[in-house]
Amino acid sequence: MQPGHFPANILFFLIFIAANGFFLFTVYRLYRIMRLGQPEDRFDHIGERLEGVATFVFGQRRVIREPSGWGHFFIFWGFVIITIGSIETFGVGIYHGFAYWKFLGKGLTSLLYLLQDLFCAAVIVALGVALYRRFVVRPERLKYEDQKAVNQDASIIIALILLLIVLLFGARATEYLLAQGEPGRYFPRLAFISVGCSYLFSALTAESLRAWYSFFWWGHTMVILGFLIYIPFSKHLHLLGAIPNVFFRRLGSVGALRKMDLEDETAETYGVSTIEEFTWKQLLDLYACTECGRCSDNCPATLTGKPLSPKLTIHRLKEHLQVKGKMLIAQQGSAEIPAGNPEDEKAKVLIGDICRHDELWSCTTCGNCVEHCPVFIEHIDKYVDMRRYLVLMESSFPAEVQNVMRNWETNSNPWGLGFATRGDWAKGLAVKTLAEDSHVEYLFYVGCGGSFDERAKKISSAMVALLNEAGVSFAILGAEEKCCGETARRIGNEYLFQTMAVELVEIINSYGVKKIITTCPHGYNCLKNEYPQFGGEWEVYHHNEVLAQLLGDGLLQTKLPLDKHLVFHDSCYLGRYNSVYDQPRKVIKSIPGLRFSEMDRSRNKSFCCGAGGGRMWMEETLGDRKINDARTEQALTLKPDIIGVSCPFCTTMFEDGLKERNMEEQVRVYDLAELLVRTINPGKK
Amino acid sequence: MAQGVCVITEFREGAFRRVSFEIASEGRRLADELGEPLLALALGESIDALAADLGNYGVEKVYVVDDPNLKNYRAETYVPVAAEVLNNLDPKVILTPASVDGKDFSARLAARLGAGLATDCTELKVEGGSLKAKRPMYAGKAFAWYEWADGAWPQMASCRPNVMDCLAPDTSKKAEVEGAGVEVVAGTQTQVVNIEKDAGGKLDLTEAEVIVSGGRGMKGPENFAMLEELAKLLGAAVGASRSAVDSGWRPHSDQVGQTGKVVTPNLYIACGISGAIQHLAGMSSSKYIVAVNKDPEAPIFSKADYGVVEDLFQFMPALIEEVKTLKSTC
Amino acid sequence: MNIVVLLKQVPDTETKIRIGAGGKSIDTSDIKWIISPYDEYAVEAALRLQDSAGAKVTILSMGPERVVESIRTALAMGADHGVLVDDPASEGSDGLGKAKVLAAALGSMDFDLIFCGHRAVDDDENQVGIMVAELMSLPHLGLAVSIEVADGKVTIQRPIEGAKVTLEGTLPALVTFGGAHAIWNPRYASLPGIMKAKKKPLETKTLADLGLSAADVGAQGAKVKVTSMELPAERQAGRKLEGDTGEKAKELVRLLHEEAKVI
Repeated sequence: MQPGHFPANILFFLIFIAANGFFLFTVYRLYRIMRLGQPEDRFDHIGERLEGVATFVFGQRRVIREPSGWGHFFIFWGFVIITIGSIETFGVGIYHGFAYWKFLGKGLTSLLYLLQDLFCAAVIVALGVALYRRFVVRPERLKYEDQKAVNQDASIIIALILLLIVLLFGARATEYLLAQGEPGRYFPRLAFISVGCSYLFSALTAESLRAWYSFFWWGHTMVILGFLIYIPFSKHLHLLGAIPNVFFRRLGSVGALRKMDLEDETAETYGVSTIEEFTWKQLLDLYACTECGRCSDNCPATLTGKPLSPKLTIHRLKEHLQVKGKMLIAQQGSAEIPAGNPEDEKAKVLIGDICRHDELWSCTTCGNCVEHCPVFIEHIDKYVDMRRYLVLMESSFPAEVQNVMRNWETNSNPWGLGFATRGDWAKGLAVKTLAEDSHVEYLFYVGCGGSFDERAKKISSAMVALLNEAGVSFAILGAEEKCCGETARRIGNEYLFQTMAVELVEIINSYGVKKIITTCPHGYNCLKNEYPQFGGEWEVYHHNEVLAQLLGDGLLQTKLPLDKHLVFHDSCYLGRYNSVYDQPRKVIKSIPGLRFSEMDRSRNKSFCCGAGGGRMWMEETLGDRKINDARTEQALTLKPDIIGVSCPFCTTMFEDGLKERNMEEQVRVYDLAELLVRTINPGKK
Repeated sequence: MAQGVCVITEFREGAFRRVSFEIASEGRRLADELGEPLLALALGESIDALAADLGNYGVEKVYVVDDPNLKNYRAETYVPVAAEVLNNLDPKVILTPASVDGKDFSARLAARLGAGLATDCTELKVEGGSLKAKRPMYAGKAFAWYEWADGAWPQMASCRPNVMDCLAPDTSKKAEVEGAGVEVVAGTQTQVVNIEKDAGGKLDLTEAEVIVSGGRGMKGPENFAMLEELAKLLGAAVGASRSAVDSGWRPHSDQVGQTGKVVTPNLYIACGISGAIQHLAGMSSSKYIVAVNKDPEAPIFSKADYGVVEDLFQFMPALIEEVKTLKSTC
Repeated sequence: MNIVVLLKQVPDTETKIRIGAGGKSIDTSDIKWIISPYDEYAVEAALRLQDSAGAKVTILSMGPERVVESIRTALAMGADHGVLVDDPASEGSDGLGKAKVLAAALGSMDFDLIFCGHRAVDDDENQVGIMVAELMSLPHLGLAVSIEVADGKVTIQRPIEGAKVTLEGTLPALVTFGGAHAIWNPRYASLPGIMKAKKKPLETKTLADLGLSAADVGAQGAKVKVTSMELPAERQAGRKLEGDTGEKAKELVRLLHEEAKVI
């Protein structure tokens, strides 16, 4: 059955068509399942999207953030190169005389063959490393509850790749020998590995060589076609899901949650309680998952033993989608969940079985999972969408949260302190309200912590002193200020959030405000990235940005040195959500005498303080330790005198963490504004 | 023509409750200012023999209804009897205790008599031959003075216990005692099915009028014994801050604060609690706050009515002694 | 089973109280209005009986139009129907006047139980609910922290010092509720609940509809009224006691006993 000769070419053609047909059928079914999802517009900015594909798919930018990613880099490119080679191989199967060199010339073909050889070799090495990692090193992040199935899947994939490469080398080694002395055939000598392998076969007769070549060729092509069929059923589904997922990734701010349409009178349910209530993009996320585990490797909940693990969430959702999706398609969209055996995959419900309540409430929305996902899966939105269902439809949430929600409703702050006293912190300070003077450049939006919490009030005061020192024209809203509702939104109470947002936008816009300064990263992210959804279009700055700018412009000048050692904690909503990493460092470096160390987990790897996503208002009873304790310990390993922060919530979490360890005397927590005001204006505390 | 000031006593388990003497004393003062006699209405079982003692506090004449059906307060037995007696007496002023039962009784009686009622009064005075009553509103954040419409007799006021001064009893004075001569009906609308004494005597935080609460400054679970002792003296519940609960010194059910219980006692004594906002959110609506902390900068002091900058291990024993002294003298 | 919950709208408990012009009432500008907490417990208790026994729950309130919002809140929690007596002539009623208005409204309603808070947290009078019971000749079971209804009887528990009393009454009856937020945990309205509440029936009635005249109730009919208000002496938070340990302890006990009158 020499490839490309009659009737082998007919047979091959039929197999090829059959395999591709089956593959396309499977893909079509996956596509239909994905389309069960709700509509979402991800077709804007095509250019930017394509650029992202180039960077993150072909450049593997996020994959190679970690050493093990380089293995993937070579396997990925090996695949691309092999695929280019496969076109020639498959061509030969139809017509034996098909060859690249006839189109490309011998020079280019030689180069291509050399590349193929090199990448094939690299793939073998990378696969070895992958096997070693999976079965010897066994890192935590590759662990799944159905470990056997997952390992089996991975082993099949690795074995198939290995097999197809070995068979390819075999085919090429024998082809090289056959090409010698046969006119009209050519095999570049530059492919030195293939050529090298040919020594194994050099003793064979032409007859046996042809037989071997035929065997290798058929083996290689059949493995490839088998692989094609297997892909959609394996974790290598990501080969299909990842590229479109990168293309359709969220552009612009990662920090904005989707606005729910609460005006829709016909809506029967809000939030997500069944898998098909996710959007098609959220379902595509599931296809894209590579099971690399980086999300969980950086998840503060997972790392402190909470029930939540983003990789498991995605994995379970994917399995559930396949089962439920098939049912839905078979029943044309009206899947009745069969009652009975809860062990039955088909009987499982999304919230409760696939995602447990305590998982959903464990998320701090810190964004590490999203940040480190090589294929841009958006985990947080899924958790929030499910929280939205629980809160809006079932009024189901941790008991402590109810109190907070009522407090927001009646007094627009989480503690329920009288709204009329919101501006009292500024009594006796040189600060005006917009009502007194609205002809100012900036609104200083103080936020709840800065207005009511004795500790955070000090940050507000420091900020006032600094802005006055720099001659910045600003005012506050005082008693008129309202909570921004950021936390209500992340808890899933979109209704409450929207009520609060509409109210605050109206107040701020009534003064014609253009620019806003905040001291809280949560308010910052919310006003900056989410309020445009409600007509709040302002330039919003976190105080670290403002301070860095004022220092750069020479409007603030540091005087007193501070002979201390500082570590800095990047707030999630400032760093990962808004990429403000350099400005706080600039502020730190401006303070003379201050020694600065970077934590292991800093910048985009920063570890949440534990307060985000509404966790500030819930008891932390699950897991082996508290998140703030873990983070405080990370900071203390560097033996600092000061933990620098830029968020009132982080301040509380670190101070609590230090108190738990009886370290509050030795190590202090300061907002950068507090440190700066000491070195600039020693008279002020 | 209405005349006289009438106080209605509260009798429980064979004795007048102290509030009865308080309103008798207050009634005496008002009766003198009005130039009216001071009468009393005493309802209860086996009350006859003790009724004359109300004279110790200035009551001139006591109308007594002594009946087994009046053993415990029930509106259906008490209210018709009292209404009948008072309709006959036609007093100008009626004073009642604003105790738990007294509140129910007062409101029902006022409705039956068609009288204007000022409840839970803390101060009474006479102006122009008419009563004026002061009472707290908005959880004590304001006070209102009440006056009665012209000719709206009787003027009825219930008095908050433990507020009005009690005269020193003059045991030489006895009141004239007279049976009221009214029929008591055995009511059937309500009945007490059961009274279950709390076994441990542990008061629920949200129900306690006084809370003694400990924080990280307590240094260990064993030191809460001090707070327990004080709580027992004050009839208080013991609370804890989150850090004390997190440290495992107290159960979560004791936690006061944002994510624990929100409490509004009359008195909250915070010992070794720094006063993070998460804690303040759970107790800042307490009527009176006492803070004991050795750190004068602790934020709790900004909320405290009475701040004590002291090492609590020195201070609390001294405080317990003082409270004991107070309790023994009254 | 039909339950009518008497509900009062009051200023939020965190409100800074200021005396209004005229000095007889508080300044109501810039106030956040809420359902009086004990009334909210009553709503919750009624809704639990709705869940368990299919009770029909009606909310009855009196006051100006702003009260509609509070009734809608109770409807969003799950109550079926609302009635508001909104008549300027009823303003200035004393406790008995209010009770007469409510009793008149109740007169044309079907009920087995009337629920309300043991007091409203604005004027803290502690009388209207009880007076309604008296005017309608109903048994009153007060300060309930738990409730059961079975066989034509209502059973409640009420805490007293060191004990819990179980009381039983025959239907129809009026129950006033005590306890605390942590005991009742009134439910948080779901979004569909809020949507549905907008469409639930809410009747508005005037005194004339109830067959009352302004002379019976309101300021005219009031037997007792507020003639002036005052704020307590501004308490100086942050005051620290002086002296040695013993002196401080003595002084603290004296202040708590004589000034604050809390021990």
